[in-house]
Amino acid sequence: MTQDNTPFDHRPDPLLGSALRQALAPGDESAFVAELMGSAERAGAASWDAVLARWARVGVAAAVIIVFVAGYVMRRSPATAASRLAPVADALLTPAAQGAELDVVLTSVMDD
Amino acid sequence: MTCDPQPPVPAARIAETDGQLVARTLGGDRAAFGFLVERYAASVRRVALAVLGDPDDADDTAQDALLAALTNLRQYDAARPFGPWLMRVVANAATDRRRRRRVRHTEPLDPRLAAGGVAPDAETQRRALGQRLREALAQLPERRRIAVVLFDVEGYSHAEIAHVLGIPEGTVRSEVFHARRALRPLLQDWKEHE
Repeated sequence: MTQDNTPFDHRPDPLLGSALRQALAPGDESAFVAELMGSAERAGAASWDAVLARWARVGVAAAVIIVFVAGYVMRRSPATAASRLAPVADALLTPAAQGAELDVVLTSVMDD
Repeated sequence: MTCDPQPPVPAARIAETDGQLVARTLGGDRAAFGFLVERYAASVRRVALAVLGDPDDADDTAQDALLAALTNLRQYDAARPFGPWLMRVVANAATDRRRRRRVRHTEPLDPRLAAGGVAPDAETQRRALGQRLREALAQLPERRRIAVVLFDVEGYSHAEIAHVLGIPEGTVRSEVFHARRALRPLLQDWKEHE
């Protein structure tokens, strides 16, 4: 408007710009910035909480899996296996059952 | 309608480019984000107010938009200017809120001002003009008011505004032209009293 009083001017209009700037003047900027930075801090803290919560869930899940795996391994440990095999060995060594058991073994070997 | 005095900005902050502040923010430096906010807060709030009309709504949107910008800062292409990227975030946030709001809140125009009544002093004149400009802006299509505010108030180029609004540069020129044609007659009285 100051340089060229037509809307065709492709340069910014200082007078219209100044009037609009005053018409759209925002309120207290320091309060706005302080509130925003507080929100940003809270958002940051919240995101850390979310990260920690995710880690906590993963940790609990991992602990449960470890407990199950540990239980399985414990059940499959050598001592347990030996104690399970003991009755079988006893049965094989028992004279009354030895003949029948040997027949089964010899039959399977002959078949092969 | 008064212009808030801006606090003096330390030279060190002025010397840092937007890109440097963005890089520091991405590195976890919250103070750098604070400097960016101080640099752009007024522009962001003006654009939001131009779209929404209500100062409280505009400030809420400006806060949301700046937080969204912080959250999505990694998406910013450092090879391009930061201002248009931020203004795009703000314009989108304001547009979304306006769509959700449905009912438009505008300050009722003071009947004395609307009637062009007695204007005892320059300050009253300026307030009246501000009121009329806000009313006139509210009558413009949303894209048009963003275009004229970004061009004549914030000093962005047509190309940058085209990037902000996602429209061709020629369309931006047309929007600015139509907005000026609607707003400039309101300045006649003010000029005469200057």
